[in-house]
Amino acid sequence: MATAGTVALRTSRRLAALSWRRLFAHSSFVAGAIIVTGVVAAAAFAPALAPFDPIEQAFTSQLLAPSRAHPFGTDEFGRDIFSRVIYGARIALVVGVVADGIAALLGVVLGVVSGYFGRRVDAFLMRTVDVLLAFPYLLLAMIVVAILGPSLINAMIAIGIVYTPQFARVVRGAVLQVKEEDFVEAARAVGAGSLRLLARHVLPNILSPIIVMATLTVGFMIVETAGLSFLGLGASPPTPEWGSMLATGRSFMLTAPWIATFPGLAILITVVGFNLIGDGLRDLLDPRLRGSR
Amino acid sequence: MKRVSHWLVLVTVAAGLLALGYGGPAGAQPQKTLVIAIGADQTGLDPQTVQNNESGFVMSTIFDSVVNYKPGSSEVGPGLAESWTVSPDGKVFTFKLRRGVKFHDGTPMNARTVADDLDRAINPNNPCYVLARKGVDTYDDFTFGSVTDNTVAKMDVVDEYTLRFTLPDPSAPFLSSLAMTWQGIMSPAATKQYNCDASQHPVGTGPFKFVEAVRNDHITLDANPDYWGGRPKVDRIIFKIVPESATRMLMLERNEVQILADVPPSDYARAQNNKALQLYRQPGLTILGVAMSNDLGPFKDRRVRQAMNYAVDKDAINQGLYAGATTASQGMPPVLWGYNKGVSPYAYDVAKAKALLAEAGFPNGFSTEMMVYANPRGYNPIGGAKLGEAVQSYLTKVGINVKITQYEWGAYLDRFRHQPWEGFAITGWSGDNGDPDNFLGDLFEWDIAKGRARTNNTSRHHNPAYDRLLRDARRTTDQTKREQLYEQANKLLHDDAPWIFMNHTNQVRAARVNVKGFLLNPLQMFFHMELVSLE
Repeated sequence: MATAGTVALRTSRRLAALSWRRLFAHSSFVAGAIIVTGVVAAAAFAPALAPFDPIEQAFTSQLLAPSRAHPFGTDEFGRDIFSRVIYGARIALVVGVVADGIAALLGVVLGVVSGYFGRRVDAFLMRTVDVLLAFPYLLLAMIVVAILGPSLINAMIAIGIVYTPQFARVVRGAVLQVKEEDFVEAARAVGAGSLRLLARHVLPNILSPIIVMATLTVGFMIVETAGLSFLGLGASPPTPEWGSMLATGRSFMLTAPWIATFPGLAILITVVGFNLIGDGLRDLLDPRLRGSR
Repeated sequence: MKRVSHWLVLVTVAAGLLALGYGGPAGAQPQKTLVIAIGADQTGLDPQTVQNNESGFVMSTIFDSVVNYKPGSSEVGPGLAESWTVSPDGKVFTFKLRRGVKFHDGTPMNARTVADDLDRAINPNNPCYVLARKGVDTYDDFTFGSVTDNTVAKMDVVDEYTLRFTLPDPSAPFLSSLAMTWQGIMSPAATKQYNCDASQHPVGTGPFKFVEAVRNDHITLDANPDYWGGRPKVDRIIFKIVPESATRMLMLERNEVQILADVPPSDYARAQNNKALQLYRQPGLTILGVAMSNDLGPFKDRRVRQAMNYAVDKDAINQGLYAGATTASQGMPPVLWGYNKGVSPYAYDVAKAKALLAEAGFPNGFSTEMMVYANPRGYNPIGGAKLGEAVQSYLTKVGINVKITQYEWGAYLDRFRHQPWEGFAITGWSGDNGDPDNFLGDLFEWDIAKGRARTNNTSRHHNPAYDRLLRDARRTTDQTKREQLYEQANKLLHDDAPWIFMNHTNQVRAARVNVKGFLLNPLQMFFHMELVSLE
C-alpha cells in the first residue's frame, strides 16, 4: 500500500503542474490556445461560417481578387478560397490528431519495450530507429505512400510512421530513468510482473514527456501532410486541403497570389498555435525537454 | 592581238570586281529578310534524326519530301515526285520524280540520290542506318516499318526518275507519312561528307538554303533562286530564338520579327488590338479527352458514355481553364480531311445526361475512379489533374461520384496502357502525319488479327462496323473514297463516345500585317514559305 501511495503522490505532483492557474499565467500557452481554439471553431462551424460550397466550381468567377463577396478571392475553378480555407481546417485538425495518435501509439510501444527490456531488444530497436531518423522525413513519407497508394488516409499513416522514431526515442529515455526509481524497485520487490509494472508504475510516470512531445509535433504533422498533398500524394481533389491548395496556387503566384497565400497563412497560423501550446506545456511539465524538439 | 587581249582581260576583271562590289542581286534591290521568332533552339536539322517542333520548323523550309503537303492542308500533293501511282492491291507505290532539280550542293536529285538517302531508313547494312544510331529520334520505322518485325518497305530504283516502294500490307496512309518533314530528302553527298551526321550542315532541295546556325541565337537561310516551286518572295529567313514569350511579343510589335511561331493565350488580345498585327488561329492537329473503360463497369453501356459527354460543359472548361485556346471536340480534329462536318460536339445537357443514365439503369448514378497526371502535354497545356478536377465537378451533378488518383507520368502511362483499368483516365494525342488513320485508327481501332485493342486504343473501343471502315480506308487508293469512309467512321465514333471528347488545342501564330501569303498548316510546320512575301 505504501508503494501505491508513493506512485499516486508522484503522479499527482506532475499532473498538478497542469493546473489552470499556472497554464493561464503562461503567455505562449495562452496565445497558442486562442489560435487553436479559433481553428477548432472554424472546423466545427464550417458550414455556418463558409459563405460558399467549398467544391462548387463557377467558371464565370475565376481568379477573382479578394473582395467583399470573396474575402480571400477565388481560384482557377472559380471556387471561394475563404470557404475552402475554413473547410480545410477540418482536414488539418483530423490529420494532425490522427497522424500524431499513430506516431504516439507506435512510439510508446516501441520506446517502452526498448527501454524496459533493454539489452539486445533495445539495441535492435534503437539502431532501427537511428536508421529511420537518418532519412529525410518527407522522403520516408513518400516511400510509405508509394507502397500504400496515394490518399489522405495513407498520407496520415505515412506521416505517423515517419514520426514514430522520435516518440520512441523520447519514451525510451523516460522509461530508462523511471525504471531505476525506488518505487519501481519496490514494486518489483513485492512481486509485480512486467505487465503490471509497466501499466501501473512506468507508463503513468512518463505521461508528461509524451504529452509535450505530442503537442509539439501536431504542427509538424500538419505541415508534412500538406507537403504530401502538395506533391499530389495526399488529399485527392476536390478536397479543400491546404497543401493541395498551395500546389494549385503555385502556378498563379504572379497573377493571382491569393490562391496560395491564404492556405499558406492558414498552415502557418495553425502550426504556430500548436507549437505555442506545446512550448507552454513543455515549460510547465518537463523543462528538461527544452531544446530537444 | 596580244596587247588587245591583255586590255580585254584587264577590263573584264575590273568590270567583274565592280559588279561584285556594288552590283549583284543583294545590292540591286533592298534585301527582304523575314524574321520568325521561335521559343527554343533546333536540336539538329537532319530530318530522319529529329522529332522536335523547332527542328521541324526550320527543316520544313530547307527540305522537300518525295510528296509534300498541299499549302495549308494535311492533304498530300506533289513534292519531289510530280506524280505517282498505287497498285490496285494498295501495296506498290510508284513515284515519277521531277527532272532538273538539284540539291543545294549541286548534287542532282534523281531516283538514285533519293534512294541513297532513304536507304539509311530501311537498310540495316547501310553504314548510316538511322535506327541503329543512339540518341536520335526518328520516324523512319513509323513510315517505312522496321526490319525487326518484318514490316519494312522494299525500295527499288526502276529508272533514273522512277522510284518504287512495296509494302507488306496495303496502307494508304504511307503517302501522308512520306510527306512529313521528318522524311525530307537530304543530299546523300552531305550525309557522306559529314560522316552520317549532317544535322548542322543540312542540304536539301527546298525553297531555302541553310547558311548558318548560331546556338541559342538564330538560324539563317537564304532563298534558293532555282527552287522548282518558284523563286521565294523573300531573300532571307532568320529563325530567331527568343525563349521569353513576352519578349517575343515585344519584338513583333517593334517589327524586329515578323512572325511568332506561337502565342500564349494571354497575348491574344494584345495581338488582335494592334492594327499592325494579325493573329492566325485554327484548331490544332491534336485531341484531348477523358478515356472511359469501354469494356468494364457501367461504361460498357454506350448510353452511359454518351451521358458523360452530355454532362460536361466543354465550352465553359475551354473558356475557364484554357483561356479560349481550344476548340470543342466531336471526336476528330476539324482540320483533318475526312472530318464529318455534319457531326457536332455533344452539347452541355444535364437533363439528357440524367435521362440516358436512367435508361441505362443508373438513375442514381454510380461511383468510379479517375486516373490523372499533373504535367502539361502538347495537347493539354494545363496538365491532366486540373482537367480531371473540372470534369469531376460536372459529373457530380449527374450523380457520378469520381475518386481522382494522380500518378507521375511514367507510372501513369504504364497503368494506362498496360493494365485493365476501370473508370476514367485523362488522355490525348498529337497527330504525326496528318492522315485520318493516325487518329481514328491509332486511337480507336481493334486489332482484328491479334484479337485485342491497338496499343493506343486505351479505352478499348470495339465496334466491328467501325473497324471495317478503317480497314477499307487503308486499302483504298482513291482519295475521295477514303475521305467518305473516314466521314462515316467519324460519325460512328462520335455516337460510340469511347471518350468524353474535350477539345483540340488551337494552333496560334501572329504576324505583322505586311506578311502576305502566310498559311497555317495543320502539321504546324513552316511549309511553302516560298509563297510568303513582305510588303
